[in-house]
Amino acid sequence: MDFNPTDEQLMLRNSARRFVSNEYSLEKRRALSGSELGYSADHWRSFGEFGWLGLGLPESVGGLGCSFVETAILMEELGRAIVLEPYVSSAILCAHVLDRCGNEAMRVETLRELIAARCRLALAHWESSQRYDQSLPRTRAARTDGGFVLNGAKSLVLDAQAADHFIVSACVEDQQNHSLFLINRGAPGLRITAYPLIDDSRAADIRLDQVFVPASSLLEGPILSGAILDEAIDRATLGRSAEALGAMEAVMQITAAYLKSRVQFGQPIGHFQALQHRMAEMFVEVQEARSILYCGLANIDAAHTERTRAIAAMKVVVANAGRIVGGSAIQLHGGMGLTAECSVGHYYKKLVAFDIIYGGVDENLDRLVKQGIAK
Amino acid sequence: MNFEPNSEHDAFRAEVRRFFKDHLPPDLARRTYIGAHPPAVEDYRTCQRMLHSRGWGAPHWPVEWGGTTWSAMKRHVFMEELYEADVLDYGWQGTHMIGPVIIAFGNDAQRRRFLPPMINGDEFWCQGFSEPNAGSDLASLRTRAQLVGQEWVINGQKIWTSDAHYADWGFFLVRTDTSVKPQRGLSLLLVPMSSPGIRVRPIQSIHGGHDLNEVFLDGVRVPAGNMVGEAGKGWTYAKYLLDKERTASASLYQNKRELQKAKVIARQETINGRPLIETPAFARKIALIEADLLALQWSVLRLLADEKNSHDPDAVVSALKIRGSELLQRVSQLQIEALGPRALRACGHQENATAEVLFGTPEWPAHVPGRTAQFLYLRAATIFGGSCEIQKNIIAKRAFGL
Repeated sequence: MDFNPTDEQLMLRNSARRFVSNEYSLEKRRALSGSELGYSADHWRSFGEFGWLGLGLPESVGGLGCSFVETAILMEELGRAIVLEPYVSSAILCAHVLDRCGNEAMRVETLRELIAARCRLALAHWESSQRYDQSLPRTRAARTDGGFVLNGAKSLVLDAQAADHFIVSACVEDQQNHSLFLINRGAPGLRITAYPLIDDSRAADIRLDQVFVPASSLLEGPILSGAILDEAIDRATLGRSAEALGAMEAVMQITAAYLKSRVQFGQPIGHFQALQHRMAEMFVEVQEARSILYCGLANIDAAHTERTRAIAAMKVVVANAGRIVGGSAIQLHGGMGLTAECSVGHYYKKLVAFDIIYGGVDENLDRLVKQGIAK
Repeated sequence: MNFEPNSEHDAFRAEVRRFFKDHLPPDLARRTYIGAHPPAVEDYRTCQRMLHSRGWGAPHWPVEWGGTTWSAMKRHVFMEELYEADVLDYGWQGTHMIGPVIIAFGNDAQRRRFLPPMINGDEFWCQGFSEPNAGSDLASLRTRAQLVGQEWVINGQKIWTSDAHYADWGFFLVRTDTSVKPQRGLSLLLVPMSSPGIRVRPIQSIHGGHDLNEVFLDGVRVPAGNMVGEAGKGWTYAKYLLDKERTASASLYQNKRELQKAKVIARQETINGRPLIETPAFARKIALIEADLLALQWSVLRLLADEKNSHDPDAVVSALKIRGSELLQRVSQLQIEALGPRALRACGHQENATAEVLFGTPEWPAHVPGRTAQFLYLRAATIFGGSCEIQKNIIAKRAFGL
């Protein structure tokens, strides 16, 4: 085992850090989050030019063919500045579904577009009755001449506003599992109701009302769709965990600096042991979060049981760490931590959102139990 | 970065496992499983001699003194198997603490005199550092040693001295110079515990066992040659000794073994006719500890693999101590919760020693003895070796400059 980055990985880290420090001051971030798009189209093009959109994708479709370690390194840096570009949805989650799907023509064409920053994608899978659970979507696909007609509704589709295409799950007629379809944003009958989330990202509810999908847009059938989606969500969880780790590292340093500058009772408040110990507790959490992230990275391509255990444990540890680190950062800033012009509250919201997305601590504890960890 | 596990150790792991299976007496393993604290001296001796006969008595020592050339990762595999098999982890004060100090800073005569009986379990050691007024604030210790002719004459008092009641030797941190800064006036002396002027008074602990002692030193004389290294460098040696096994403070192997015990209990104890482990609430508790333990394991792996951490290394080790010791208490708490009312019975040290006679009935199953006593004993985990509060002070200073 070697936990030290290679020269290439260091270069990736440095260029990501440079990009973020040039482009992502709190002021610039706030301006972007208030814009109509919610992120920067220029940044997205830069991501494409840097090769970031195809980091883990095969060279045959224009990717760089890296392991997930590189993606994690990038995500940690993006997390340090809580960037707004919808990277996970497009370049990790949907990219993996496309890369693993059986529809070769659609796979190659869409991935090439994605890597070249010419399109973005979002996963429209969960519905309002699902708490990121394993129940089947109620959205239905009926066979028709040359394709399918979809009816249903998706809720909390992350990064929907940025997406040119959606990967939509739906059960074809009487099939016992769902299939996956690629649907254009402009498809007739598809209605998007967008809203912001607490972490300044965007999501939407999507209604599908007699939406026609050509047969060529069926990405994967009912036998493999579930497993592919599981894999993709685990990768997205891993990416978001790296991002959360970066956010925690950053907010911890911001807080330590504040304790040195804020003076009360005639001295920097960092002199007070009660506050020092709270900082130390944050430090312990961040260390453990990084360790479990590496466990997740080590197992992301492992067999199903090992992978599920590692990713679920990772989510539990990182989410718990996020609550402590984010909450403490606000507490140590006092009232200032609650203001919109102070960065720590924005980090906190990112970490709260991370906790919830794809299933929280209890759901993942139950996943661990289901994988036989308590036997 | 590369997270491939080293499969090169698979054969070694099997070899270690087989050796323990063939050589560890089952009754000794059972006593270790129960975890009476402190274990019987003879059990220590048996385990140490078993290990040394195979060349594994002190794997971290140089080969010329009976050690090995194992990598840190290989020692990790060894320790996992050691705990999995319920081999007693031999007295830390000897092979793990003073042994490496004698190797690094002692002279050849000391190495020849002390290392062979140490590694063969012939002589046991205790550590005389803490004093009534020098606990966390170790540098303020007051036990004095004065050179009279060719002898050091020691006067003072030590406390919390584990195993002093049966140890053959003690290594004592004493003040040999009062005219300099507190840390610079300390020296390390090797003292026979049978010396005239030494009185050992036992301290009974809340768990019912006795391993801690007060040690009174009243005009104790040792030859000048019993000083390790140079006078005035005791603080440096003490720090070396405490820093030596950086990953040990995680208590990783013990944590893993204790969690297995918690599951054994939760499988056998029932609530409303159902095994406790099958109830969602208890299963979640186990899963949470599993997740935290997995993180701890990877923290240890990072240290073993020499990660260039962007944070201060001392702060990283302190974080490991905090998390590892708190986890030990949580795992032990889980055992107690799983035991339910049976945890109430005072199964102290004495009773544990004869546990096979007293337990193994339907009313008092074999998984009961030892757990509550250990749970009580483990309140010490967040105190010894630098309390969690001291560790937090270290982190605040080293990681953040606060």
